Amino acid sequence: MLRVGGVSKRFGGLVVLRSVSFQVDEGAIVGLIGPNGSGKTTMFNVITGFHPPDAGDVVFMRRRLVGLPPFQIARAGIARTFQVVRPFVGLTTTDNVAAAVLYGRGVRHVREARAEARHWLQYVGLAGAVDAPVSVLTLGGKKRLELARALATGPRLLLLDEVFAGLNPAESEGAVALVRRIRDELGITVLLVEHVIRIVMGLCEHVVVLGSGQVIAQGSPAAIQADPQVRHIYLGEGFDAAG
Amino acid sequence: MSRAVAAGLVVVLLLLPWVGTGEYPLALLYSTFMYAALAVAWNVIGGFAGYLSFGHATFFGLGGYTTGLFLVRTGLSPFLTAPLGAAVAAGFAALAGYPCLRLRGPYFAVVTMILGLAVRAVILNLPWTGAAEGLWMTLPPWEPLVARRAFYYAMLAVALVTALAGRAVRLGKMGVGLEAIREDEEAAQSIGVPVVRLKMSALILSAGLTGLVGGIYAYDRSYIHPDFMFDLHLSVLAVLMALLGGRQSWAGPILGAVVVRLVDELLTVRVGTEAARIIFGLGLALVIVLLPDGLLPHLERLRRRAPRPPAAVPAAEARL
Amino acid sequence: MAQVLQALATGLLTGTVYALLGAGFSLIWGVAHVINIVHPALAVGAAYAVYLLAAHGVDPLASLAVVVPLFFLVGVGFHEGVIRPAVRRGGDLVLVSMVLTFGLAAALENVLAAVWGPGPRVVNVAYTGRAVQLRGLVLPITHLAGAGLAAVTIAALYLFLHKTFPGKAVRAVWQNPEGAALCAINLRQVTSLTYGLAIASAGVAGVALALIYSFSPASHLMWLVFVFLVVIVGGVGSLLGAVVAGMLVGALTNLSTLVIPFAWAPFLLFASLGVLLLWRPTGLFRR
Repeated sequence: MLRVGGVSKRFGGLVVLRSVSFQVDEGAIVGLIGPNGSGKTTMFNVITGFHPPDAGDVVFMRRRLVGLPPFQIARAGIARTFQVVRPFVGLTTTDNVAAAVLYGRGVRHVREARAEARHWLQYVGLAGAVDAPVSVLTLGGKKRLELARALATGPRLLLLDEVFAGLNPAESEGAVALVRRIRDELGITVLLVEHVIRIVMGLCEHVVVLGSGQVIAQGSPAAIQADPQVRHIYLGEGFDAAG
Repeated sequence: MSRAVAAGLVVVLLLLPWVGTGEYPLALLYSTFMYAALAVAWNVIGGFAGYLSFGHATFFGLGGYTTGLFLVRTGLSPFLTAPLGAAVAAGFAALAGYPCLRLRGPYFAVVTMILGLAVRAVILNLPWTGAAEGLWMTLPPWEPLVARRAFYYAMLAVALVTALAGRAVRLGKMGVGLEAIREDEEAAQSIGVPVVRLKMSALILSAGLTGLVGGIYAYDRSYIHPDFMFDLHLSVLAVLMALLGGRQSWAGPILGAVVVRLVDELLTVRVGTEAARIIFGLGLALVIVLLPDGLLPHLERLRRRAPRPPAAVPAAEARL
Repeated sequence: MAQVLQALATGLLTGTVYALLGAGFSLIWGVAHVINIVHPALAVGAAYAVYLLAAHGVDPLASLAVVVPLFFLVGVGFHEGVIRPAVRRGGDLVLVSMVLTFGLAAALENVLAAVWGPGPRVVNVAYTGRAVQLRGLVLPITHLAGAGLAAVTIAALYLFLHKTFPGKAVRAVWQNPEGAALCAINLRQVTSLTYGLAIASAGVAGVALALIYSFSPASHLMWLVFVFLVVIVGGVGSLLGAVVAGMLVGALTNLSTLVIPFAWAPFLLFASLGVLLLWRPTGLFRR
């Protein structure tokens, strides 16, 4: 459903992505991993239109995305969360999500959008924080809010940028279950950037490994864990591939 | 404010000129309507979208000069051409807005201020606008009291149109989008908000309404000059009124305008223009520090007799 | 040609004063992230102080002995008594500080207008109207004195910021507040010091401008435009950038009066600032 072909991106003299190609199949949960600075977040920004690529193609459901402004990409069915949470702090939780219903899905009436927003807040487990100011939420709550906001745009593909980072074990277990539910119940394809290898291996069906802006391996979690190059990068940097 | 109270107020205002009200109260209310319209219009871009403009006098002046020139050249009454003044102001906002709205924070504030100074400098140099001599217009062909009534109704209409427009924006879909833009433009884009189009629309609407006010005001002065039609003080007043009343709501700026207008009247009459402006300057400084959300939220809280919104929400999120 | 050289020379002299006014503004913007709209208004205040003292026979240069310490204290007090309490209440720093200082500037302008009236004033000293002749160039002594004063102050600021420990602390905070705090630099003291220095430099710039120009309570708006031009051209947080930009702005505005009608000069100024803001808001010389 999403095909990234030969994408390159540089900032000034720094090459961040070097001819990156990979594919995300409909209904899959795909992990995008790699050490810090390997270009994962930049890849997200290229897909969502925030950083147009210098070369290459991004095709989503047979539609070329390169050159489209971010809001149109969002309307085309790609929603995202941010590495550092970015809720609309001055709005209530409900209006955070209602904005997504209104503009992501083209709903016209605010009242209708708010009703639907409350549904999404419940879906992500924020039933108790409906209509509350954002400031009452914990970090985990804000991440769920961003998830609800992304879901409310009615996406076919969901890009999650380190949603599990900063959560305690119980919280991140809940979040893993939520991501699975989103795929299973809503049929939304998921592409996620993650640092915690254990979560990626447990959750994803397909894994793409970036290193210095290039795809250095991709395949099933088992194949990735066995890949000598990947082991070298992670073990060499002191990561424990087993989690 | 409940709908019934608002409707009652409008009816009272509509009947007021016919119960023996003299010229002075009508003039006072006329200028209050004008301030309210300016504040509400400013708030659409400055409050809802968070783009702090220090240059709304530009749109006011453009509206005023448009109707003034039409009257002088074609004899058409500004009551008819005021919408054209609005259109010129909106058109100018459409042209200048695109590059300006790419700037954020202080840069936007400064560039809007500069825009006003630049337009003023141009008018001062164009002979066909009257340039530095100003522009004399023919007086409306009515007795003073009749004229006062006419201007009263015209400005009341402008204020009502502006208030309804501000309300529609704030309570509708556009209001939610503008708030999202104010909070975080990238996040807004990521959920499908057409950021550029939306903030352009807000600026154009805001400028158009401001131009409409300027168009009527020019006729009332019957003599216009760049010094007061493009007066920075006017831009500052719009900011002050909106901030004082509360820029998160559509009605806040009206409250701010009423307070500012009354204080202005008292001060100017009792102690003089400079003292009034000193107090306004200090007032602006105090308001932004002590009442960053404006008066309205405090009043509403008083009315509901509710203590602040709950400080914590039962812990559904604790599971995450 | 002689005309061009003459315009260039006086332009560079006044440009030095713009550079000083811009440098102080830039210092506060860079270190404290506050757009201090009241900065040029304070300079106008200093000009009126000179005017007042000159009426009692005090030479503008001698009035510095009063203006500099007074304005330093005003700067420190402004930070401690106004900006800090305002910022501690939270909210958007840029919005709060701009609206706050805008309000104060309007108030100060009208205080000056209430005392001295809205009309322009001129400081007359013994050497007003006299000039030095240099190869056909006429250099008014007032311009030379104003520019010299500004140049000395800029040099002193530069030496202070680069050679002394407190000055280096200011620069450290400017570049990296968290890092500076980790190095046990007292952020509050350093910021107060910055305000003191910047406002004192605004005082000196006001004295220098009083020598060169007539001024009125509303002059600060025009000076604000110059200050923004200097900061946008030179880049926020660059003393040397401010110097180059000040001279450039001074020279270009003066030269422009040779080719375009005098009445259009303000428009050119506003238009160039507008274009610069739209095109390169972070400064002409950055990258």
